[in-house]
Amino acid sequence: MTPALPRPAEDAVLVGRLRTDETGASMRRLYRLYGGELFGFALNALGDRGGAEEIVQEVFLRAWRHAGSYDADRAAVRTWLYQITRHAIIDARRRAAVRPGLPHHDPVDETESIATLELAMLGWQVAAALERLTPEHRQMIRMAQFRGLTMREIAEHTGLPLGTVKSRTWYALRSLRLVLEEMGVAPS
Amino acid sequence: MSSGHVREELGGYVLDALEPGERDAVAAHLARCAECSAEHARLAGLPALLGQAEGLKIPAAPTVVEERLLDRVASERGGRRARRPRRWAAARLTRGRALAAGALAGAVLGAGVTALATGGGEPPAQVAGYSLALTGAEGATARAQLEPGREGTEVHLWVKGLPPGGEAVYEVHCERSGWSASAGTFRADARGNAYVVLTTAARLGEYERIRVVRRSDPPGTNVLTGEA
Repeated sequence: MTPALPRPAEDAVLVGRLRTDETGASMRRLYRLYGGELFGFALNALGDRGGAEEIVQEVFLRAWRHAGSYDADRAAVRTWLYQITRHAIIDARRRAAVRPGLPHHDPVDETESIATLELAMLGWQVAAALERLTPEHRQMIRMAQFRGLTMREIAEHTGLPLGTVKSRTWYALRSLRLVLEEMGVAPS
Repeated sequence: MSSGHVREELGGYVLDALEPGERDAVAAHLARCAECSAEHARLAGLPALLGQAEGLKIPAAPTVVEERLLDRVASERGGRRARRPRRWAAARLTRGRALAAGALAGAVLGAGVTALATGGGEPPAQVAGYSLALTGAEGATARAQLEPGREGTEVHLWVKGLPPGGEAVYEVHCERSGWSASAGTFRADARGNAYVVLTTAARLGEYERIRVVRRSDPPGTNVLTGEA
C-alpha cells in the first residue's frame, strides 16, 4: 500500500542536493522518479522519440542549473519539472516551425497549441497519480472509467462481492483525490 | 444505503457505473443529505480529470538519456564522472564463485534464466546496483542484490525459510504496475534455503518490486515481496 513515489518533501530535498551532490546520485534518483512520465509527455507532444529524449535531457539539465531557484512553497517538484518540460516543448516546436523539413512544424495557432499542451500535461500528471494508487484501487477506476463497466459488471468480472467493488471504488477515488492534491492537481 | 448514507455508492455514482435504479436512489439521497452531498462534491471533478489520462501509459525513463544527462552535468561541473572500476572488477572476480554457490545451494532451472556474461565486456557503467529485503507471509525471508548487466539486471537472491525439501518451483518477477518481467526460476535446497543468480531483461529503475511466487500456487499468491 506504500505509494511508489516519495512524498513531495523528499523530492524537494533531492532538488536541494542537486548542485552539491558530485556523485550524481540525487540527479539519478530524480530522473528515475520523473524521467518516464516527462518522456511520455514529450513523446506524446512531439511524436518523435529522439526529440523527446533531447527534451527530457534538457529538462533535467535546466533543473540542475536552476535548482537553487526552486521554491518548494510555490510548487511541488513534479509541477516544477512539468513546467520546465512544457517550456522546452514549446521552444522545440518554435524551432521546428522555422526549420522546414522537420516534423511537427504546422503553422497552427500557438495559443491553441499551448492549451492542448496544458491538457496533455494534466493528463500525464493524472496518469502518474493513478500509478501511485494500490493495484486494487487502480483496477476499479480503470474498469469503471476507461472500460465503461458498471459496478455489477466489475463484480462479475473480478468475482468480488458487489459491496466490496462499490466501497473499493469509493476508496479508490478518495485516494486519487488525495494524491492529486498532494501533486498540486486538485480537481475543481 | 442501509446506514442512511450513500458514501460507498458515490464511487460508482460519479463514475456513472451504477444501475439506473441505484443511481436514482443516490441522486434522491444527495438532494436531502448535506454530508453525502459534500462528499460527492469532493469526488465529482475526478472523472473529467481521469478522461485526460485515458490511454496514457507511463513509459520507462530512457536509460540512454540518464547516462547522457549525468555526463553533461559532470561536464558542466568541469570534471569527469567518477567511475567505479574496482566494484566491477571485484564483481567479475567473484562471479564464478557466486555461480558455484548457486549451483550448490539451490537448483536454478533452465527456462527463463539468461546465462550470465562471463568476461563479455564491461557492463553499462554508472547504473548503481543496490540490495533490498524481501519478506513473506509464510515466514520466508530473502535478500536480493540487484546489479546492472548488459542484458538487464543481474539478480542475486539469498532465500531462507522456504518449506524444506520440497519440489516446489519458485519464480522471480521484477514488476511495476501493469508490467512484469521474469528473472527465472529456482528450487530450494533440503533446508529450505537457496542462493541463485538470475538475469532479467528488465533494467534497474524499470520495476518497482521484486516478487517471488510458487508456480503451483494460484496467480497472485506471493511467497516473498520487496519494494525495489
